[in-house]
Amino acid sequence: MSEHSATPARRFDPGAILLTILTLIAAFIWFFPIYWGLVTSFRFDDETVTDFSLIPTNPTLKNYIFTIQNSDLPIWYLNSTITSVGVTVLVLLMSACTGYAISQLQFPGRKALWWMILASFMVPVSALIVNHFIIIADVKLLNSHLGIILPMLIAPVTVIIYKQFFDGLPRDFREAAVMDGATEFQLLFRIFLPMNWGITTALAIITFIGAWNSFLWPFLATQDEKMMTVTVGISAVQDAYGVAYGRLLAGAVLAGLPVSLAYLFFQRRVTQAITLTAGIKG
Amino acid sequence: MAQVELSNISKRYGAVEVIRDLGLTIKDGSFCALLGPSGCGKSTMLRMIAGLEAVTGGTIKIGDTDVTHTAPKSRGVAMVFQSYALYPHLTVAENITFSMSLAGAPKAAQRAAAEKVGKLLQLDQLLDRRPAALSGGQRQRVAIGRALVRDPKVFLFDEPLSNLDALLRVQMRLELARLHADLKTTMIYVTHDQVEAMTLADQIVVLDKGKIAQAGSPWELYNQPANRFVAGFIGSPGMNFLAGQGTAKGITLRDGTELALTRSAPGPVELGLRPEHFTIATDGPIRGRASVVEYLGNTSYAYIDTDHGPMVVEADGAGIKAGDQVGLVPDLSKAHLFDASGAAV
Ligand SMILES: Nc1ncnc2c1ncn2[C@@H]1O[C@H](COP(=O)(O)OP(=O)(O)OP(=O)(O)O)[C@@H](O)[C@H]1O
Ligand SMILES: [Mg+2]
Repeated sequence: MSEHSATPARRFDPGAILLTILTLIAAFIWFFPIYWGLVTSFRFDDETVTDFSLIPTNPTLKNYIFTIQNSDLPIWYLNSTITSVGVTVLVLLMSACTGYAISQLQFPGRKALWWMILASFMVPVSALIVNHFIIIADVKLLNSHLGIILPMLIAPVTVIIYKQFFDGLPRDFREAAVMDGATEFQLLFRIFLPMNWGITTALAIITFIGAWNSFLWPFLATQDEKMMTVTVGISAVQDAYGVAYGRLLAGAVLAGLPVSLAYLFFQRRVTQAITLTAGIKG
Repeated sequence: MAQVELSNISKRYGAVEVIRDLGLTIKDGSFCALLGPSGCGKSTMLRMIAGLEAVTGGTIKIGDTDVTHTAPKSRGVAMVFQSYALYPHLTVAENITFSMSLAGAPKAAQRAAAEKVGKLLQLDQLLDRRPAALSGGQRQRVAIGRALVRDPKVFLFDEPLSNLDALLRVQMRLELARLHADLKTTMIYVTHDQVEAMTLADQIVVLDKGKIAQAGSPWELYNQPANRFVAGFIGSPGMNFLAGQGTAKGITLRDGTELALTRSAPGPVELGLRPEHFTIATDGPIRGRASVVEYLGNTSYAYIDTDHGPMVVEADGAGIKAGDQVGLVPDLSKAHLFDASGAAV
């Protein structure tokens, strides 16, 4: 082997170049509106439809200041945080327990439960939203954190991922721990989950992002402004002067900020989580 | 310290009976090897003693206690798994003391126990590592340490050395023998490797399709096999079998050769002869042609095609080569005779 052939030669490959160009175009089409929204939120109202420069000619924070001053944004953030954390903790706890039970325990109805979870995964949650509304209204939980959280706890995919993970663990781990005197709860919380925190972290991140971004249910469940989440509250910020793009977009940026930061910090975990769930969803 | 007593144990999975009416007593302080071909039910036996598998029938006593329906952790047994089953997220010390931590033992006591066991098993430098950073032999020792720390009445091993390479296996075998000599605790050891069983155990139980073919000391199994199965299973290379008809004075082989024996049985019988119980002579009663000669250093084995089928004989110093015509003289005082049912006569 000569030294030359050790490094791959730069060959002209029209296919690869075309593919790269197409990917770049797609990325641009995807990214540009986001960028445009971001810069528009820094423009004055009268400039939003007249100034088409890529960087605002007179950048301003007026829209942000207005949105923060004229809304309950801090409370909405708090509501979003409470409900999203609540949903994440409860979904993970319940899914891990359910997945563990279906994977590791023998009890009557185990198969039936499993099929039910698989079947529920086929029903889009939005198809049930009217039922949810009626039930939550009946138990007088509209306009409450619990009312927002409860219907969002339906997470068959998380259960399925946990079950498959537990299924894949060698039987010896379980038996060694049983010989050591572990109870089922100790097995789950001291061995099975800690053995691979990666799965739990990944599921936590996407559950949290999903809960934070959810709109339809929190929108239906809250009429009281003090109970709204960020996504719902921002959409309610309206202006007597009609559509104020700058303010709307400033609100959108504020609403999406925590999730964007989460993406930035946990990029690798998020990708892992998406791969995990994509495996289930096919 | 306790003896283990199995009475009328049976086990079925659905319609398949894996263990049939098995009775066995393992004496206190004994090192007992369960030996047998793959699928004969060795692991199942061990798992029933451990309590990981329920018995279909019969009783298990450890010491004076009937533990047939006792939970695994309360039986006073500890098990070392073939895969070691070390928890990857815990350090060596935490792995060793996991049972103590489950029981809520204080941290200091746990550390002390880990250090004591670590010293015994030469793991003291590795206590804060994770299993992924250990060699196969070290992992094996951690698995043993995890059993050791529970101070059990009985140790159970399921093929603990089968994941190690040949050299390490010999070394760990010695360490296990030393451990047993130190602790004098009852040990039950599943293996399909007869060398392990012969070297470690004072009692070997040979299982065949869920039944005990023979239980006894290594010497008994080798020199006084109770049946054809044990005779053929123990020893490497294996025993040679020659079919023939039983006569009052001994056996008539298929080619008409008559051999005089001190024992006899009527009807079709088989003569069993170990490879070392032949001398090679040109005028021996059994004739054949050497097909392969294996030289092992300390000795050599000749594989010989005879009228009675292929045979293997120890041929140290006989100077035969592949292709030679040879005659074999059996040492009939060392011969075994098996009747039509396979039982030793
Ligand atoms: N859970 C089970 N369900 C059905 N059959 C089983 C089950 N576990 C074991 N068996 C059967 O029981 C028989 C004995 O199995 P066992 O694992 O005890 O064999 P073994 O002697 O340990 O073999 P090996 O040397 O291969 O480990 C085998 O035929 C096996 O197929
Ligand atoms: Mg086995």
